[in-house]
Amino acid sequence: MTSSDLNYLTVALPKGKLFAPSAKMLADIGYTAEGLSEKSRKLVITNEEEKIRFIITKTADLPTYVEYGAADVGIIGKDVLLEEGKDVYELLDLKFGFCRLMVAVPQALQQEKLSDYAHMRVATKYPRVAERFFSSMGIQMEIIKLNGSIELAPMVGLAEMIVDIVETGRTLKENQLIEVAQIHPATARFIANRVSFKMKFDRINRMVEDLKTLMEGGVNGENSSC
Amino acid sequence: MTTEVFVPKIPYGTRDLLQGDANRKRNIEAALGKLFASWGYDEVVTPTIEYLETLSVGNATDLQHNMFKFFDKSNRILALRPDMTTPIARVAATRLRERALPLKLFYLTNVFRYEEAQAGRQCEFYQAGIELLGVSDPTADAEVIAIAVEAMLEAGLTSFQVSLGQVEFIHGIMNECGLPLTQQQAVKQSLVKRDLVGMGEILQNSGLCPTAQKILTQVPVLHGRQDMLKQAYDMVTNQTSRNALDNLSEIYNILVSYGVDKYVNFDLGIIRDFEYYTGMVFEGYTPGLGFPLCGGGRYDKMVSSFGVDCPATGFALGIERILLAMERQGIAISPDSKDIYIGWNKGMFDAAIVEASQQRRAGKTVELAFKPQSQLEAATSQVAKGYNKLTYIGG
Repeated sequence: MTSSDLNYLTVALPKGKLFAPSAKMLADIGYTAEGLSEKSRKLVITNEEEKIRFIITKTADLPTYVEYGAADVGIIGKDVLLEEGKDVYELLDLKFGFCRLMVAVPQALQQEKLSDYAHMRVATKYPRVAERFFSSMGIQMEIIKLNGSIELAPMVGLAEMIVDIVETGRTLKENQLIEVAQIHPATARFIANRVSFKMKFDRINRMVEDLKTLMEGGVNGENSSC
Repeated sequence: MTTEVFVPKIPYGTRDLLQGDANRKRNIEAALGKLFASWGYDEVVTPTIEYLETLSVGNATDLQHNMFKFFDKSNRILALRPDMTTPIARVAATRLRERALPLKLFYLTNVFRYEEAQAGRQCEFYQAGIELLGVSDPTADAEVIAIAVEAMLEAGLTSFQVSLGQVEFIHGIMNECGLPLTQQQAVKQSLVKRDLVGMGEILQNSGLCPTAQKILTQVPVLHGRQDMLKQAYDMVTNQTSRNALDNLSEIYNILVSYGVDKYVNFDLGIIRDFEYYTGMVFEGYTPGLGFPLCGGGRYDKMVSSFGVDCPATGFALGIERILLAMERQGIAISPDSKDIYIGWNKGMFDAAIVEASQQRRAGKTVELAFKPQSQLEAATSQVAKGYNKLTYIGG
């Protein structure tokens, strides 16, 4: 049940906000299966006629499934790709799930320039992205890895700053945080395993072409939540 | 409370190969060594450690980051070899200067790279490979690819594919449209990672004319058989790229003669992650393995960075990756069979020794009991140790 079966194409989809738009987009190009839903209790959902398998994974794990070839292709946010740094092929920007990785501080702590924040504590779900960003600016920081509710950290004195993903910035505003630097914009990406891309090239390349056509037709874009 | 047992650890990214695995590795290496020798290649062994500056020749910064480094007594920096191509280029340039070309060398050895370890991708891993030095003709490249195919067949793999590319193809396009060197590097980086989105962004910001952008974004999906080469030929106008395609055609025609063309297709997006490649490059893939099984190509400039001009081509194959692919594809590779267990009754040891020696001379694997045993005990030992047959010297 790995991608070693050349007849089947295994598609990995992430749980969470990207699931619905991803599944819809794939359905629009003919890639779907009966009972494909985020709430499905089945871990593997197969469409025997079209020889497609779907697996639904935790967001952060998705690139791992693709890197190892347990899934041939997948859809995942650029933020996750940047953080996980897995060896996968990034074939297409699907142009939904718009958001950005950025640095924010509480209003009261705002400084003139970024280097003024040196040696402060940064809370984040994206420790590698944060580390890379600050060291590329020549700034040393103390990075604190958290698994959620990042905005809480500066409120209770766990950290002075945060690195997080935002879509509209509403959550920031509600928590009196101010964005002081953008690290990277992020959208959903279509990724592929490097060997699957060769061994199942025709099928995967046709998917890429179909997705491109679909996007040019402007069918997509109704849901752009991050 | 349980007392903690002391368990000695081994360094990150290394592994022990125990009985079965070590035996399988030895057998596959022996088969590959025999194959390479049958094509007229000679084995070489070079030091595991070299000076960092030697290993850095032809490889810019990237590979250096992943080398294991340390100091010698006079504080020069040493490193564990990250591949065998560079050491062989050094040997060819310094020790084998006077030998008649072409030099045909092979190796079976361990190499070291600091990588995120996973199955088939350890920090210490084993490679089998060949280097063919002194011939710049496509005949040499074709021979190397043909041997790579034979090597995978030798290992028992049936479902695999070799993809051929040519690094000069993309160089020709980038030079023709005058892309600055730093951006060329960035494009190549994104091509190695097949980060097509990132590549699109670089090109958009490059100020290149739309036609050049369009051609470059197509390179990663130029994938197919001979008709694709024709299509690519019509896409480009510069001579470098066209020569690259002609070169691939010539190599392919020879592969047809070798009868291995059915395993081969073209993928102009392959440029490999070593910077020393100057011409044809290729990678071998098999289903169930998320990364290439083997890879290689032409590297005409590397030996000359050691002071002697010498074109060269070659490839390396990952031994663990072969074993993993065979296992995942259910290709049975049982370790060597164990033939005879000899048990003996009190006073019969001398006779047992004679019997064991005779059987060993006859080519059987034989284990001789260390203590006298009853027939029943001997039979139990035979089964427990996995021997096919029991010989009991009862007297």
